[in-house]
Amino acid sequence: MSELAIVGQRIPKVDAKEKITGRAVYAADLDFPGMLYGKIVRCLKYAHAKVTKLDLSEAAKVPGVVKVLGPKDVTQKGYNTGVLDLMVPEPVGQLLGDIEDQVLFATHVKHQGDAIAGIIAKTEEAAERAAEKIVVEYEPLPVYLTAEESMKPDAVQFTPLKPGNRAFQLPAEMFPNNIYGWGDAEAEMKNADLIIENTFYTPKCKQCQMEPHAYVAYVDDQDRINCWTSSQMPKLVHNKIARLFQLPMTKVKIHQTIVGGGFGGRLGMIGEPETCAMAMAVPGKYVKVQYLREEDWIASESRHPGKYYMKMGFKNDGTPVACQAHFTSYKGAYYTHGSGVAFTTGSWLIGMYKFGAMNYKGDTYYTNQAPCGAFRSYGNAQTSIAMEQTVDEMCYKLGLDPVEWRMKWHKGVGDDGWCLGFKYPSCALDECLQRGAEAIGWKEKRVKYANQTGVKRRGVGVAVMNHTSGAMPMLLEHTAVQVKINEDATAEVILSCSDLGTGAYTSLKMIAAETLGFGLDEVHLLTGNSDASGFDIGAHASRTCYVGGGAVKAACEDAKKQIFDRAARQLEANVDDLEMKDKKIFVKGSPDKAIDIKTITSLGVYNFVDPATGKTIGIPGQILGYASHFAPHNSPPFAACFAEVEVDIETGEVKVLEAVQAYDIGRAIHPPSCEGQNEGALQQGIGMALMEEIYYDKNGLALNSSFTDYKMPGPADMPKFTNILVEDPDPIGPYGAKSAGEGALANPPGAVLNAIHNAIGIMMTEAPATPEKILKAIKEKGIK
Amino acid sequence: MKTRSITLYVNGEAYSLNVAVNRTLLQVLREDLGMPETKYGCGTGECGACTVVVDGRKSILACLTLAATMDGANITTAAGLEKDGKLNPIQEAFISEHAVQCGYCTPGMVMKSVSILAKNPKPTEEEIRRELEGNICRCTGYVKIVQAIQKASDAMASTC
Repeated sequence: MSELAIVGQRIPKVDAKEKITGRAVYAADLDFPGMLYGKIVRCLKYAHAKVTKLDLSEAAKVPGVVKVLGPKDVTQKGYNTGVLDLMVPEPVGQLLGDIEDQVLFATHVKHQGDAIAGIIAKTEEAAERAAEKIVVEYEPLPVYLTAEESMKPDAVQFTPLKPGNRAFQLPAEMFPNNIYGWGDAEAEMKNADLIIENTFYTPKCKQCQMEPHAYVAYVDDQDRINCWTSSQMPKLVHNKIARLFQLPMTKVKIHQTIVGGGFGGRLGMIGEPETCAMAMAVPGKYVKVQYLREEDWIASESRHPGKYYMKMGFKNDGTPVACQAHFTSYKGAYYTHGSGVAFTTGSWLIGMYKFGAMNYKGDTYYTNQAPCGAFRSYGNAQTSIAMEQTVDEMCYKLGLDPVEWRMKWHKGVGDDGWCLGFKYPSCALDECLQRGAEAIGWKEKRVKYANQTGVKRRGVGVAVMNHTSGAMPMLLEHTAVQVKINEDATAEVILSCSDLGTGAYTSLKMIAAETLGFGLDEVHLLTGNSDASGFDIGAHASRTCYVGGGAVKAACEDAKKQIFDRAARQLEANVDDLEMKDKKIFVKGSPDKAIDIKTITSLGVYNFVDPATGKTIGIPGQILGYASHFAPHNSPPFAACFAEVEVDIETGEVKVLEAVQAYDIGRAIHPPSCEGQNEGALQQGIGMALMEEIYYDKNGLALNSSFTDYKMPGPADMPKFTNILVEDPDPIGPYGAKSAGEGALANPPGAVLNAIHNAIGIMMTEAPATPEKILKAIKEKGIK
Repeated sequence: MKTRSITLYVNGEAYSLNVAVNRTLLQVLREDLGMPETKYGCGTGECGACTVVVDGRKSILACLTLAATMDGANITTAAGLEKDGKLNPIQEAFISEHAVQCGYCTPGMVMKSVSILAKNPKPTEEEIRRELEGNICRCTGYVKIVQAIQKASDAMASTC
């Protein structure tokens, strides 16, 4: 399909070599002269408590300790580690109830792992010894681990700003009756022949990115706070750190280090505030803070777990009549993404099927656990567990084929997507379903597995999804890109977009080279420098290729236009009559009268004046392409995931034998990177369906904050996988591309659970579907 | 804290050190020898990010190894595989098969691959997957890592 020179090629990733040789520098690898170590001291023994006494004096005396910091030694200003508050207009933020309820060092400890003090020392060991010498006394408070508990009228309030501990619900001012959707589902439900009604539980999963959180901060002799961080959103962190410490943005510099995995786990801020506060306490000294892996589960943000009520009504012929749904999540200790996932969980539901009426409610309540934040697919994996299983239950009851039903009733081009009013510009889901079904052998296996006996039962399941490419119009979508053209006609593309390992830098570079008509070696990306680059949101909502790439394309087109305009003047021709080949511009049909781009760019910089005549040769000015790009749409990708499982009905164990992901990518800018997203997301999706959850004891202390006990699918657990990229170019995305980062985690949970249902005839309403739960369900419901 | 004098041979160079006996090999490599390519991923031997190779074939976890017990050991890290700027077949395969995403698990994965292929030059896919169980990757789903090891195995077989 390609007349494209570079887009679509399977080139090596630009950052592969440095990562393989180990020369890639992550934040924890940074070493500076005289560097000190900061330790964030956390409350580990209580999930909810008031700090009644904090005495740092003994800790301060430990040899090697430079400074100890308590709540009063640092700013008391509140902040929000999430970034949604920066992405909506202030009046909307007010309506949504976005708040900044986090502080550097807590006196009201709201989760195990909440920070209570900081120690700065010459060695990590000294900092650890000092932490042991801190005298702290607590007044324990009741612990709430579910919304049901924390919403009780006599519950301790997490913040006076949120009565009843309800951090957020869809506001009636924006969503009449707090409902998102269309029609009156309650009334329409009366017209249904069949109603399926269940409450599902979706677990608190952890991103488990391989790079533990680590930061370095340093206040230099221009009184600038420098912070090295692998945040997914360096430019927003730039804004937030400046605001937190009440400094102009010119007094803060964010150096983004290589991101060792994100998945939402470093969306916004995690430890930057404490690290910067420590550096401010010792100006002129670098301070490094490294999280222990065990801190990850208790001191950084997770997926939103909760109860997902879903009631769907259908006619006997399968027509989807009405859907009422309500996702109540357990927010954890702080607001962070309170207004986000509670909304989006319903929006993915809304975008999927042509229900006559669809009413979704979303809310979230504080609990004494690590705060929830963003985790890849942002509510879509939760929706898959509830929505796709409910649809399949209907199919069983009405004798309909799950693939055929989905083909008939999914939304498509011209229908409202996840944001009502924004219609789908493209949708290749039919082809995804078709090719995916073929690849897994759907028809044959559904017949083959229809009446099984025996200990091992197999099943195949399907789940579809719609996601998004960037978060407009609900959230700001803006990327500013500069394209500096060097005198030798090579380009420096300067931006703040992030690559979390996804291949974004490779893809953005390919887009730049393709648009400019330059070779790959003639383009360089400058990223991660908040001094140099313009605004960008960062990596979230699967926006980097679509919005970032759109911005790169626009900025390169701007640079190219300037080059062409100069060429037109030099050639004394009309710019519309010109074409470019091999970096030479000529009037169409006269390639022998070409001007080399390098001549134009060189003369732009080296524009000498002839002292004799006062005349110059060429057109002066270094060319700078620029785009401050606001995405015009969010072109949602679709996908169909198929899974084949084998369930041992005596042990409850599930083996995923085979999986297929057929993904409506629009255009794969860098196909191996798109494939990689599907492959990695499958691992996370299987994990969520079968084994991943953070467990707590009744006191709110985490039981499995280590890789020993937080189990994820390993290389021998992964199934045979067929990875299908369906390319049906989107009319809006750069070169037709839609997003790849998150969508492929949305549907594997539903596919695996639907496969289990097909195998044993039981719908597992609680994820993860562990062997214990499967055996319990088999016992209770029996096997047919 | 007691100390012990040791000599470590790392990537072909000898280093004489006086280490506290509770110091791990990971700490010595990263902090004392300034070699940050071996990563801290969990510190408890679960994730494999700290994998290094001894005597060209045995993979060990540096975070669980006391440096004081490694006197005289021949250790290879991810930085020691290149020869005169030329990548070895495993490194080439990781690039060509696009087996790297965030890269944090990569040095450990590459070193584990060295060990796998040193002990078993023609592993089956199942053998590769079993051997990799001690190395966690959260980005790739292991698909292209397994493909890279298979490719490296073929490349190395064809050169001998």
